[in-house]
Amino acid sequence: MATQQKYSDPKIDGDLQTVSYVANDNGEQELTPGSIWDPVHTVNEQAWREIEKQVESSQRKIAAGKRSPLHYYMTVNQMNAALLARYTGQSSWRVRLHLLPFFFKKMARKTLKNYADFFKISVEDLQDGRLRPPLYAHHER
Amino acid sequence: MNDNPDALHGFPHTQSAHCESGVAANLFSHMGLHFSEAMAFGIGAGLFFGYLPFIRVNGLPLVTYRSAAGKILKRLGRIPGVVMEQKRFRDRNRAMTELDALLEKKVPVGLQTGVFWLPYFPTALRFHFNAHNLVVYGKHGDDYLISDPVFAEPVRCNAEDLARARFASGALAPRGKMYYLTGVPQHLDRRPHIVKGIESVCRTMVDARFPLIGIRGMRLLAGRMEQWPKRLGEERAVLHLGHVVRMQEEIGTGGGGFRFMYAAFLQESAMVLGEDFLRDCSATLNEAGDRWRHFAVMAARVCKKRARPDDTYGAMAEQIRQCALLEEDVFRQLRQWLKG
Repeated sequence: MATQQKYSDPKIDGDLQTVSYVANDNGEQELTPGSIWDPVHTVNEQAWREIEKQVESSQRKIAAGKRSPLHYYMTVNQMNAALLARYTGQSSWRVRLHLLPFFFKKMARKTLKNYADFFKISVEDLQDGRLRPPLYAHHER
Repeated sequence: MNDNPDALHGFPHTQSAHCESGVAANLFSHMGLHFSEAMAFGIGAGLFFGYLPFIRVNGLPLVTYRSAAGKILKRLGRIPGVVMEQKRFRDRNRAMTELDALLEKKVPVGLQTGVFWLPYFPTALRFHFNAHNLVVYGKHGDDYLISDPVFAEPVRCNAEDLARARFASGALAPRGKMYYLTGVPQHLDRRPHIVKGIESVCRTMVDARFPLIGIRGMRLLAGRMEQWPKRLGEERAVLHLGHVVRMQEEIGTGGGGFRFMYAAFLQESAMVLGEDFLRDCSATLNEAGDRWRHFAVMAARVCKKRARPDDTYGAMAEQIRQCALLEEDVFRQLRQWLKG
């Protein structure tokens, strides 16, 4: 199974330097550059830890043969069946079936390719259950 | 970023705290009508509060501190003399060709996009949030040149990713929305627009009939928050709490701090209109902003499991009630001022 970068790592907030309104000594608001203050990091980390937990649980289910590899790709990209269905232009019950190994194995190549293109992976990756990193990790500079 | 800053084609990219007001200010400034971000936020009536538990974001109740996406631009577009074209698309290719055609004519174009698909965003902020605004001001090969108001420098995005971002699905789907200005008035008397902007915010904040929005919404949230540990259990309660803080500061894209932004607007208006009274309101709202931050700091300690003995849910609810009190005071006074 592919090793996962931990997104709750505080450094991940990256180099984004934001600006915000801070009152100066005279009580006047000024746009001030600088690090986002601490609580934002805390709650952002919390959100990512939650996503990681879901991804780990998804990986366990796939290893146990209860879910198809598609479930991993859906979860790691923070989607649910309804959203994935909208993106791939199908009804959500079809996507729900594809999340189960039994139906996943019977999927036509065309449908597989539709999913693979959407997640920017190869059909083989998806078919063989290789768990690649999420979409947003493709562009890491 | 490897962009050449003088390749901005004259677009006045100014970093701002919130995407929609920043895009609006930059687009108007480009047309020669100078707006600060705070002024755009105020005239566009961007301040709001809503606690809407029946709308779920990642399975958690929606709490919003600013008006619905697109409201600021809509209000600014209504100023007499302003001509703003706005379009949505069904077809992805058409959406992209029309964008290209405008860029060819050197028209900067505002877009609504989904953050999840924008490759230049730091990974930590790539959630499915579909109401992020940015301006495309040029194209270089396959790359679009973008002035994203949340970033200090201009950024780039390739065509495929931008097309995906414009056609993100889910809540607040942008459906390829693009907008651009074709005309602005030569001179603008700001007073009536400032007054109308304040009026609109007063209406939602203190006069709302609906108990979930404005001051009443804050009090409702406070009441619910006290019950969270009992109703949801400790673990879920912490998630809900973190979510409230996240909506407060981040999902407005990057440290919004909308109370402070509105305070900045009131200050600027005090200067423009010569009304010292607005400066007092600004100070009170500033205090409310400090309270919200204070609440967030407490909440963050709880989320980190480093709560101090007095960081209880009751105490946090009390903070929010204090915020409600201060904001009620500000907007009631402002309403008096509007009448007077």
